[in-house]
Amino acid sequence: MSMLLEVSGVTVTFDGFRAINNLSINFAEAELRAIIGPNGAGKTTFMDIVTGKTRPDEGHVIWGERNISLLGLSESKIAMEGIGRKFQKPTVFEAQTVRQNLAMALKTPRDPFAVLMHRKTAQNAERIEKIAEEIGLLNSLTRVAGELSHGQKQWLEIGMLLAQDPRLLLVDEPAAGMTVEEREKTTDILKRAAETRAVVVVEHDMEFVRRLDCKVTVLHEGAVLAEGSLDHVTSNQTVIDVYLGRGHA
Amino acid sequence: MNKSFIAQNPSVLWFLAALGLFTLAVTLLSEATGVGLISTSFVKTLGKTLCLCLIAIAMDVVWGYCGILSLGHFAFFGIGGYAVGMWLMYARTEGIVLESLSGQVIPPTPQEISDAIGNQIFGVVGSSDFPLIWAFADNLFLQLAMVVLIPGLLALVFGWLAFRSRVTGVYLSILTQAMTLALSLYLFQNDSGLRGNNGLSGLQNIPGFEATPQATISIVFFLVSALALGLGYVFFAWVISGKMGSVVKGIRDNEARVRFLGYHVESYKLFIFTITAIISGIAGALYYPQAGIINPGEIAPITSIYLAVWVAIGGRGRLYGAVIGAAFVSLLSSWFTGGGAPDINLGFYTIQWTDWWLVLLGLSFVAVTLFFPKGIGGLFDYLVRKPS
Repeated sequence: MSMLLEVSGVTVTFDGFRAINNLSINFAEAELRAIIGPNGAGKTTFMDIVTGKTRPDEGHVIWGERNISLLGLSESKIAMEGIGRKFQKPTVFEAQTVRQNLAMALKTPRDPFAVLMHRKTAQNAERIEKIAEEIGLLNSLTRVAGELSHGQKQWLEIGMLLAQDPRLLLVDEPAAGMTVEEREKTTDILKRAAETRAVVVVEHDMEFVRRLDCKVTVLHEGAVLAEGSLDHVTSNQTVIDVYLGRGHA
Repeated sequence: MNKSFIAQNPSVLWFLAALGLFTLAVTLLSEATGVGLISTSFVKTLGKTLCLCLIAIAMDVVWGYCGILSLGHFAFFGIGGYAVGMWLMYARTEGIVLESLSGQVIPPTPQEISDAIGNQIFGVVGSSDFPLIWAFADNLFLQLAMVVLIPGLLALVFGWLAFRSRVTGVYLSILTQAMTLALSLYLFQNDSGLRGNNGLSGLQNIPGFEATPQATISIVFFLVSALALGLGYVFFAWVISGKMGSVVKGIRDNEARVRFLGYHVESYKLFIFTITAIISGIAGALYYPQAGIINPGEIAPITSIYLAVWVAIGGRGRLYGAVIGAAFVSLLSSWFTGGGAPDINLGFYTIQWTDWWLVLLGLSFVAVTLFFPKGIGGLFDYLVRKPS
């Protein structure tokens, strides 16, 4: 089966510390995957590598059916290739409205002159409204993003990712600081998104991962420790020792 | 610039209306119409102020909207001034030289004329040869093209190098300041080709209009400056409206996020940096014929810092704020430093405003930053209720 993203043998060292150690991990088209692991396991660094923020010392990151290497590309090029990223802290543009936030993310030409001459179209407005509905912010389109609640900001950011229409969505701790109700809604949004694209969720919270009900990869010290269903990995003795035994005792 | 743009930005209409009324009032009351309530020298001051407002909105776009604290935009302003000043000085000197040589029995050769002009212009720095950069000084249109091209190219090259290396924040400010300082120091040299610290002078005399009184010339420049400010305002308001504005403000607030949305942040910064540099050059080209003289001191880094102070006091991130700040502070500055403000005698010490104005300005800058981060322009928020 051909893979959407293949990460193989990647190593990153920061001042002698191996954040990522010979990591190999693959993602298929349209799958939902959770990545868990204790602090410092390399979850965020892994995202940094895929999105072009950090260059690895060794290894390959191969993307799509044309097998492009992502390692030589800039962040914006990688984003245009179809990889979207949601940060740990909700990072929306707080000074702008929900509609402007979504419009900026919408998959339209990105070069300055096209943007300068950009005209609003009914088609784009429709897309924005559809996404806003999906994330439950249809009635908040004219609100300034800074006024939104924490959970709404998280959804707005997920909405911006959907607007980019990526083939791979990297989501960093989407449930952090959310109420139970908000978590349920977030789960639904992510599951629906995963029907048409690959969604990779990095999460700390076991309860949330259980709700996602998907394949789980456990990272530890920059490498894959175990992979499989949540029940499978949580019954793995090494996983219990390094992660569950410590974090959830 | 369709209808919806103006409809979405009513402040642009308000600004244009205010500018139009102001321009009309000054014109009617000037000496050019015979009323003379406003002196020619004050018309020049107002005309110069309009040019300062134009560079202030450019500064607001690059700093208030795009988050690049450039301390170099007055360098572009100065370059614009020098470019137009070269033609003014050359053409006027040529006129004078031709007139003085016309009485001779043997008509002077072109070489003699050129030498005489060179002597007139560069005698003050002990030279008479035309430096290479004066190659087009006899051609008004080429010099006017340089008003736009040189600041634009300099900004493009400088910005490309700086933004590509991801220099941001205070480091970029220092870099722009270094550029300004280097340019200023270079121009101070006698062999820079631009008359060293003498600068270019006599720029208020427009070749071909020797018979026209300064009262008329001053009002023409005032009107052209007002037109340039109006057009510049509409242009920038258009640039920062809509999606471009969204992206640019996004870069200011969170550059990395914009990058991950797939925008090539460096291109946007370069675009904003370059167009604001070009507008600054145009503002300078209109300013110096009204000032009459330009010298390297005008490009000193401190002027670019003043520019940032004006925009901060007026209110960053709103174009009319920049206009208010530049007009208010620069007029106040000339009132205080020009001896307009009465000294305050405290008995044991006399506050002389020519010395203490900078202290006052510095304190107001600190006060605005701490207590009114929205600046004077922020007052409008109280007048106009925000649509919810």
